[in-house]
Amino acid sequence: MSSVNEVINTTEKEVKDTVDFKMVTFSLAGKDYSIDIMKVKEISNANRFTFVPNSLPFVKGVYNLRGDIISIIDLRIMFNLPVAEVTDKSLENLIILRLDDYQLGILVDSIDKVVGINSASIQPPHPIFGDINIKFIQGVVEHDERLYVILDVEKIFGQDEEFEMITPPQESYSASGADSPFGRTVKTAGDSGNLDYSFIIENLKTFKKFTVSGINKEWFDRRFAEWIKLKGSNTEELQLKSESDADLFLSGFFSIATGRFWDDTLLSAFEKILPDFRKNTVSVWNPGCGNGYETYSAAAVLFKKYAGASIKIWASDNDLLSISNAPNLVFKRESLPEILEEYTTESTTGLQFNQVLKDVILFEYHNAMHPNPFMEVDIIIARDLLSFMNTNDQAHLVKEFEDKLRPGGLLVIGNNERINSTRFKYIGNSHITGYIHE
Amino acid sequence: MRVEYINPFVEAAFNVLKEVLTSDVKRGELYLKSTTQPVMGVAALVGLAGNVEGRVLFDMSIETALAIASDMNGEKLEQMDDLAKATITELANMITAQAVTKLHELGFTFDLTPPAIFTGENMEVTDSEVEALIVPMELSYGKVEINVAVRERV
Repeated sequence: MSSVNEVINTTEKEVKDTVDFKMVTFSLAGKDYSIDIMKVKEISNANRFTFVPNSLPFVKGVYNLRGDIISIIDLRIMFNLPVAEVTDKSLENLIILRLDDYQLGILVDSIDKVVGINSASIQPPHPIFGDINIKFIQGVVEHDERLYVILDVEKIFGQDEEFEMITPPQESYSASGADSPFGRTVKTAGDSGNLDYSFIIENLKTFKKFTVSGINKEWFDRRFAEWIKLKGSNTEELQLKSESDADLFLSGFFSIATGRFWDDTLLSAFEKILPDFRKNTVSVWNPGCGNGYETYSAAAVLFKKYAGASIKIWASDNDLLSISNAPNLVFKRESLPEILEEYTTESTTGLQFNQVLKDVILFEYHNAMHPNPFMEVDIIIARDLLSFMNTNDQAHLVKEFEDKLRPGGLLVIGNNERINSTRFKYIGNSHITGYIHE
Repeated sequence: MRVEYINPFVEAAFNVLKEVLTSDVKRGELYLKSTTQPVMGVAALVGLAGNVEGRVLFDMSIETALAIASDMNGEKLEQMDDLAKATITELANMITAQAVTKLHELGFTFDLTPPAIFTGENMEVTDSEVEALIVPMELSYGKVEINVAVRERV
């Protein structure tokens, strides 16, 4: 037994001793960070960078490195950390990075040394990391009783398509700046507004898979301004640190009557925008139907509007737990809108819908991104579904809606969602967002 | 995949495996797939027809298949011979039949095709325009994945 332990100990020691990852360590606001040495071209001291007008706040300017012009980025401003006063003569610590296709200089508080570690000892970052967005952290490693946060420079500076998207609009920039009563700091407040904006977008994605895009940008900008009013412009307070913060931020986003039966105003708003189809069959696709409350509510309106036509609703969700309950939904009479009353029946487990209503709805466990069997539908109801997909999936699904919806058909999306497409004409109101496919 | 179909398959797989094997049976997390999927080494396939069209695929590695066949026969089988194949085929038949019986009680009528068994390395399965429900079952001999791809007739 002891010999086995010895073997284990030696192997562990060997693993620890083999150095296969070297990193340059430095400090930002008193904490230790590091960058993979393979990304670092050189280290230098410099000052008086050439200012570039109209650049992002964390861009210090450009610098002439032996004939090559490189951009200089202040990592402290980028990560919302305090910047020490610089006198004109003092030199600042500069790390020159060599990324895939260009070079870049970053300013840090002080550069420490090169540390060699074994890459197996790098641990993944914890989701609740303070100052720096978790996406930008490659891992955390301990060396000589100091913890180093390894920054993923490719992710931070890589030319990501989404970068374009998280660049905030001019309005919110000036709005947050104007809130600040201090003359000199107006610019700084505006700068952090910039970063808060993109960090909140990142955090919504991390915690709730909520993607800010053209679909919901209008709502997001409005909510961001509200959020600043609510929390003050202090960065610390503004950040979404946990899932419950993200829930709070999103609280106003969800459409009217999410997760319950539609109320009378919504039912009549829906009925009003339903097109007149002169045919005997009406087919409906309801992806992301959840527990099925909206499917049943919509079905009752369709029965009323298209009396005599044969109605077929194809409802699906990729959450197994919600969708499993949908076919045999049990509910209380008080929560039921009047229009659905004629379709109920008492069962052993409680009040349920009767076969007339159930027969027109087919609930499926289905991922909306996967192919589906039907050719064309007349109505698509997909409230608050697109916002919870990444931008690629959003584009794919909007395209799918264009392909699968018949000309003249109706598309319903979330109250706070909008589609910008020449093929969809807006006909909604404050209760419902609808589009007619042209 | 229609919600009502899911449970019968999960229950039948669990009950049958529990009944015929001495191993512990644990159900894994269900999920959906629509792309081409690799097959582990032994695949038993049962076709479905009637109200629906589709198939059920039982997928496991050769080692797992041999351990299951040995357990069911009460003797140690060393290679994928006729007896081992017949045993896996029978297991696939039992599970699918029990699921279809349960579905029949709920009012859905399906017919089964005789099972076919495929063995080999580096195999893949692709379903066109149907997504597959994956029901993973963890046995002490390894993992058996039950891959159900059915759709309503339109």
